[in-house]
Amino acid sequence: MHHANHFYGHAHILAEYCGLDPDDPPRINGFVQHGWNVVDGLGYGTPYVPGRPILVYSERTRRRAWSMGRRHVTVIGAPFLYLLTMRPEAEDAPEREGTIFYPFHGWENQQVVGDHQRQVEEILETEDGPVTFCLYWNEFQNDQVRESYERYGRVVCHGYRGKQWLDTDRHFLDKQLAELRRHKRVASNRLSSAIFHGVAAGCEPAVYGDPMHLDREDLPMAERIRREWPELHGKHLDMSVAGPSALSELGDGYLASPAELRAILGWSAKARVPA
Amino acid sequence: MPSFTEDRPSAGGVLLGYLTEQVPDGAEVLVAGPHDAALIDALAARATVTCLLRSQPDAIGLESRGVRVLCGSLAKVTDESYDVVVALDGLERLCSVEGPQLDWVESLRALHRLLRPGGTLLLAVENELGVHKLVDPSSSTASQADSAWRPLGEFDTKPGNPGRLAGRLAAEGLAVDWLGAAWPVPHEPTLIATPNALQDGPADALAAVTAGAAGRAYAEKSVLSDPRRLAAAAVRGGLGPELASAWLVVAHRAPRPAAALSLPPVLIGDGPVVELAPGRDGVWTRRVLHEVPGRDLSALNGPLPRGRLLEELLLAACLRHDLPIVRRLLTGWTSAHPGAAADNVVVHEDNYTVPSFSVLDPSVPPQTDVIRRFAQTLIGGGYAHPWPAAVDVPTLTSILHAAAGLPGDDVEAGEEPPLPDSRREHEEQIRALRRQLADATTRAQWFERELGRRDSELRKARMQIAAFSGSVSFRVAKLGVGVARKARNRLRKGLS
Repeated sequence: MHHANHFYGHAHILAEYCGLDPDDPPRINGFVQHGWNVVDGLGYGTPYVPGRPILVYSERTRRRAWSMGRRHVTVIGAPFLYLLTMRPEAEDAPEREGTIFYPFHGWENQQVVGDHQRQVEEILETEDGPVTFCLYWNEFQNDQVRESYERYGRVVCHGYRGKQWLDTDRHFLDKQLAELRRHKRVASNRLSSAIFHGVAAGCEPAVYGDPMHLDREDLPMAERIRREWPELHGKHLDMSVAGPSALSELGDGYLASPAELRAILGWSAKARVPA
Repeated sequence: MPSFTEDRPSAGGVLLGYLTEQVPDGAEVLVAGPHDAALIDALAARATVTCLLRSQPDAIGLESRGVRVLCGSLAKVTDESYDVVVALDGLERLCSVEGPQLDWVESLRALHRLLRPGGTLLLAVENELGVHKLVDPSSSTASQADSAWRPLGEFDTKPGNPGRLAGRLAAEGLAVDWLGAAWPVPHEPTLIATPNALQDGPADALAAVTAGAAGRAYAEKSVLSDPRRLAAAAVRGGLGPELASAWLVVAHRAPRPAAALSLPPVLIGDGPVVELAPGRDGVWTRRVLHEVPGRDLSALNGPLPRGRLLEELLLAACLRHDLPIVRRLLTGWTSAHPGAAADNVVVHEDNYTVPSFSVLDPSVPPQTDVIRRFAQTLIGGGYAHPWPAAVDVPTLTSILHAAAGLPGDDVEAGEEPPLPDSRREHEEQIRALRRQLADATTRAQWFERELGRRDSELRKARMQIAAFSGSVSFRVAKLGVGVARKARNRLRKGLS
């Protein structure tokens, strides 16, 4: 229905999970939530077409979407969790060390406003081991921003999100999973999908530092996130609370079987159509 | 009445028949009001039967079969006396158009006078607030039937609940020996349970049995809303006696009964007759009292399966959007009893493992489309569920089929099961169709906009292609590529 279904290779992961060709996922009969958010699961500006399902990560998001007038919402869980079911961690994996830090990122239409230098200093003061900075493609392509991190540690980028079904790095989440599994901790200055993915991949989460902001950002919403998920904000969190909270946001326990997912996405043999 | 025949069904069926079987052999019995011929014949074979009817054609028909008949009005029966009076049709059809029109209390007094001391009265009292009335699309006070010359409905003087009924009978000198709430329709109940059984017995299983009885009685019949849900909710919520279709009473004329009738706390009868009673260990046990030829009922003897009806558990989990529980119920169900419909399975433990699923009535033949039937219940009833974009039965069936872990993506179509034809569900379906139509219109507009945008992009790309293919630089480059290709081919020929 919408090109956001292919962001981060979501459609490709779901196709692989369903036993279909991951290089050529069929058209999804609905809108897959393409990142954690505190609205109805749709991305900013997504032109929703009524009658088609929004396929969200969690029951909490479904309830919120209903309260916002969205009637066709089905919980399928995050594509990252589907990926985890297909990529069990190797038993002889090297020991994890250090922290992977995801600075708050902008995108094509909104850039981050804040002091990256001060951010790095606080990270290095907080973290014990080596720090890997993972930049979003938007910041990674900005030489000035990238260099401000490169001076203090390893800098990586998981790839391009994709747009209008073009240039999608379909291995984006695979790369993220591999990086997360190298690290003990996952941290950011904003609660975001990367933190949730990190918890699912076995990292200890942390959210601290100058939260920065996007130009023209809805700041009350950012404050609401800090109020609603206090257990996920701080430098050293109580994993007995933070872990289940993060997994719940990804829809842990709600994943559909391949056959059920095929039926939900309109991918059963009779219904399947090209992307 | 010479030119009148009763236009509503007579009291009958296997359960009312079973009640009359309790009448002692050789007793003198008055059967007051229209009763089913089979019931009268069975009673006449063991006792001396007199029937009171107001329709002359009906009376002639009955008399021709050798039964003594009094044709006329109850008010005119004065110098008779009986050991037993059977009034399982109620007291509303005992007076003809001629003569006094006795109300309920006056009719009761008249019947009381016909009983010998210690004599037994078998009486049915229709509940004007019973589920059968709540789902009835027509109003009994506006009936145009020939028999409705005085359509009193709820304005009659009869008592409105079992407690008041017992009190009224006591006030008239009749002591209640046994009282049962009858479901789902007064003239042919298929479930009779005492208020104690409904209060202290296996409420979930009784709710399931009541829903099943209502479903069968109202299959394809026009109703305001689904009687299965109302009946089950009433029994589960402790309102079974208050919302039953009728109350059945065995009473005797004071001071003491000449013959005591023995009746179990629960009787189930839709063909066979099954009693349900608590054993010494407190476990409710079924026992088949009357067999039906050609149907193996041996599995019905034994402890009643405990638990909530699977269909209700599934509906509740769907309404909560509790997908993990929906999936566990579906997989447990299809692993344990794949041929039993959701309204014939009970679940007694919250872990939903295979042993916690039991078939309520094992004598029902296995079905092949049980998942589809549940999908139809969800859509037909307008219930919220976790896949709201699946608005047709085949799509929802294929999702449920997959969620149940059954093999194969595509599910074959099945036949429409006979369900109550409910106006409320019709209204909901109309609202759903309106929403779908509005959504489809918006989608069509969106597709048109998308098409326009893509057409515009295509036009632009074609213009660019045409512009580049006609430019001097493009022609020079094309010539150069052609020359280079020829040179390469010559070289290849020379080398080979």
